[in-house]
Amino acid sequence: MTVKYQSQKIAQYFYTFAVILFLVQVVVGIIAAIQFLKPDIFILNFNTIRTLHINALVVWLLSGLMGATYYVVPEESETEVWSYPLALAQFWATVGAITLVVLGYIWMGLNPQANITVMGTQLLNEGREYIEAPRWADVLIVISVLLFLFNMFMTMMKTKKWTGIQGVLLFGLLFLALMYLPGMYYSKNMIKDQFWWWWVIHLWVEGSWEVIAGALLAFMLMKTIGAKREVLEKWMYIEVGLVLFTGILGTGHHYYFIGTPKYWHWIGGFFSSLEPVPLLLMVWDAFRTTREARNVTNKPGLFYTVAHAIFNFVGAGLWGIIHTLPQVNKWTHGTQITTAHGHLAFYGAYVLLVISMIYVTLPSIRGVKDYNPARAYLAFWWMTISMVFIVLTITGAGMVQVYMERLMGLDYVAVKTTYNLWFWILRAIFGVGFLVGVSIFVYDFFMLGREPAEQKA
Amino acid sequence: MSNKAARNLFIFGSLFFFVIFLGLTVDTMNQIDGRAPEVTKEVDAGKMVWQKYDCIGCHTILGNGSYFAPDMTKAVERKPDGYLKQFLMDPRGVKPTAAMPKLGITSQEADDLIAFLTWISKIDTNGWPPKPILAAAAGVGGQGQTRGQQIYQSQGCSNCHNINGIGGTSGPELTRVGANGKDVAWHVKHLKQPRSVVPNSAMPPYAAISDDDLKSLAAYLVTLK
Ligand code: HEC
Ligand code: HEC
Ligand code: HEM
Ligand code: HEM
Ligand SMILES: [Fe+2]
Repeated sequence: MTVKYQSQKIAQYFYTFAVILFLVQVVVGIIAAIQFLKPDIFILNFNTIRTLHINALVVWLLSGLMGATYYVVPEESETEVWSYPLALAQFWATVGAITLVVLGYIWMGLNPQANITVMGTQLLNEGREYIEAPRWADVLIVISVLLFLFNMFMTMMKTKKWTGIQGVLLFGLLFLALMYLPGMYYSKNMIKDQFWWWWVIHLWVEGSWEVIAGALLAFMLMKTIGAKREVLEKWMYIEVGLVLFTGILGTGHHYYFIGTPKYWHWIGGFFSSLEPVPLLLMVWDAFRTTREARNVTNKPGLFYTVAHAIFNFVGAGLWGIIHTLPQVNKWTHGTQITTAHGHLAFYGAYVLLVISMIYVTLPSIRGVKDYNPARAYLAFWWMTISMVFIVLTITGAGMVQVYMERLMGLDYVAVKTTYNLWFWILRAIFGVGFLVGVSIFVYDFFMLGREPAEQKA
Repeated sequence: MSNKAARNLFIFGSLFFFVIFLGLTVDTMNQIDGRAPEVTKEVDAGKMVWQKYDCIGCHTILGNGSYFAPDMTKAVERKPDGYLKQFLMDPRGVKPTAAMPKLGITSQEADDLIAFLTWISKIDTNGWPPKPILAAAAGVGGQGQTRGQQIYQSQGCSNCHNINGIGGTSGPELTRVGANGKDVAWHVKHLKQPRSVVPNSAMPPYAAISDDDLKSLAAYLVTLK
């Protein structure tokens, strides 16, 4: 097994960057977890560590998705990437820009006074969760994404073989790029600031990224079990359609209490409650297709694909719906319940998605037919079991917080430092378990196809 | 359903919902200005300071942000400005156990931040954060309390102090304050003007309370052992 088009190998650059950042993300996550117990344990304060944690997460997932796209589009268009040098340049420009941004965060963390205002925005850290990257970096990121989309579009134009998978994938990416723009709008009014901020955050994870996930799910089921394209694409349209029908107005579940009008309680509550439906459909799709499977060519790939579908539903769907009605969200809004959901949703929906794409495509990129799957499974169980326990722990912390602080009226700090103490300790311990899983995965990523396959487990 | 029909449903359905969303966005934008006071120069400056120090990397505000530190939506309602300013500029000078680091906030920046947080506290948030139901239920009685206890409650000392697990954590815990050897006279003096006995104290002075009431309050405090 090998790639049909040499330029598909560009995916590997993006994957490598992704897995390294994954490792960084989890290491700083553990530091953040320990800072709940000992705030001064590290030279950088919690806010900087957290910024690094969530930015590394978003960047590595995006990098992984870009890599996946560089693999999928030539395959679907049946031609080489329009410009290989442009793709390579785009890769290195991205790495360079991200490195500068990270250095800026660290500098700002060490010396907040360096975060001066230049042309109306902060130079190093914009101080807005997830989109901390300063304005100059926003511009660089947009240019990089535009070059990437242009390259992919020109590739499609070479043969004009518009497949459904590739069309939906690129639509998702375009939507993603467009939804980055509202984050660059500065408003003096904090309500408006938060309103547009949610366009980026929500319409990413519950809109465009979920559309991309739908397209890649179809692609992976096709690759791993040779499922029929016709059927896959039809269900894909239905799934991503339902994602957007529910997800766009579902944005309202963030507009309950930030100063926006009350009608969002109805709109947000109704539509976001339906958001798990397409996610459940994807699980069903994965199982239906797998049951029909005749010849599975890539077992770990399929394994991760199905796991992604399941945990997407559990993390985003179930852990989302429990706090999405305004009557419930009134009490849970801004508590550890949100953190629990954030972790399981990102893990299930996007971490597992990118890892699945890596296992589905990497063997052919490395030009091997077979590889030892033992580490892939081992990594999965270490990561997944640890993550489930992190999430249960934090859900427990959230329930205690909601009861003691929000219902009984105890002080935030009192609840955090006494009643929730054990939850923080447990989270840090399970975090180390997660790091073990990630390390196995990253090692496997570098070794796959580079050692004899005989030592099969 | 044919693939083409499914595709068209996806495209036009999504467009349909996006247009509705845009319509609601326009309406919301028009309503927002009426749901909070005017944004003054100080409030805008305060928002910039808020962003400069990445306060949201530890705190939530309007319930959004990080969950490492208390929500800031109503912060100014529980603490007087003087206290907040002193805390912002030097958290551990005010509260030795504070997890918030000294960030280098200047006096001007602290004033701007307080203007910003005051503006935030006046937003119509549809009733969020909710009043704790259990605490409200426990507070109705009031009978059987001494005069000192009543003053302690009515003056909001519990916004900063904690007795038997109830109350804030900004000032020292008072559960056993009577055991530290300070007498009624010391407490009266301290309540009237904390700085007269504790240099640089961040506790607000309670000079407006009558001498009799101060004595009752102090008498209550010394019983806490
Ligand atoms: C590194 C994390 C961190 C950062 C950054 C941070 N805070 Fe805090 N802040 C805390 C914690 C934790 C508390 C709770 C009290 C304590 O234990 O320190 C707190 C408490 C407060 C309080 C309440 C004090 C009281 O006694 O009620 C205010 C007001 C406040 N912070 C404002 C800010 C502002 C404004 C900024 C940005 C300039 C900021 N904080 C940045 C962690 C942080
Ligand atoms: C805005 C926060 C705040 C409020 C409100 C407040 N205090 Fe304090 N209080 C403090 C701080 C900070 C200290 C520590 C500095 C000092 O000793 O003056 C303190 C110290 C004390 C002490 C000394 C404790 C000790 O162990 O030495 C007593 C007693 C006390 N306060 C009583 C009260 C009473 C009674 C009220 C209500 C009338 C009250 N405080 C309101 C912040 C506050
Ligand atoms: C893959 C999809 C999803 C991801 C990655 C995700 C992630 C997140 C994250 C990170 C936050 C916290 C944002 C912040 O920092 O303030 C959040 C908030 C929230 N999410 Fe999701 N989510 C997903 C899907 C869903 C779904 C399907 C629902 C509903 C059914 C949902 C309901 C919510 C709600 C109600 C909040 C607000 C919590 C609060 O009030 O504090 N999410 N989500
Ligand atoms: C792939 C795995 C992980 C993902 C996808 C992930 C994702 C996230 C996200 C989205 C947030 C923002 C929280 C929110 O707004 O809800 C966050 C915060 C955080 N993460 Fe992770 N994380 C992962 C692994 C870890 C690990 C292993 C640890 C260490 C135990 C950790 C510790 C933390 C901490 C302490 C915070 C701050 C939470 C808070 O503000 O209360 N994370 N993470
Ligand atoms: Fe959302």
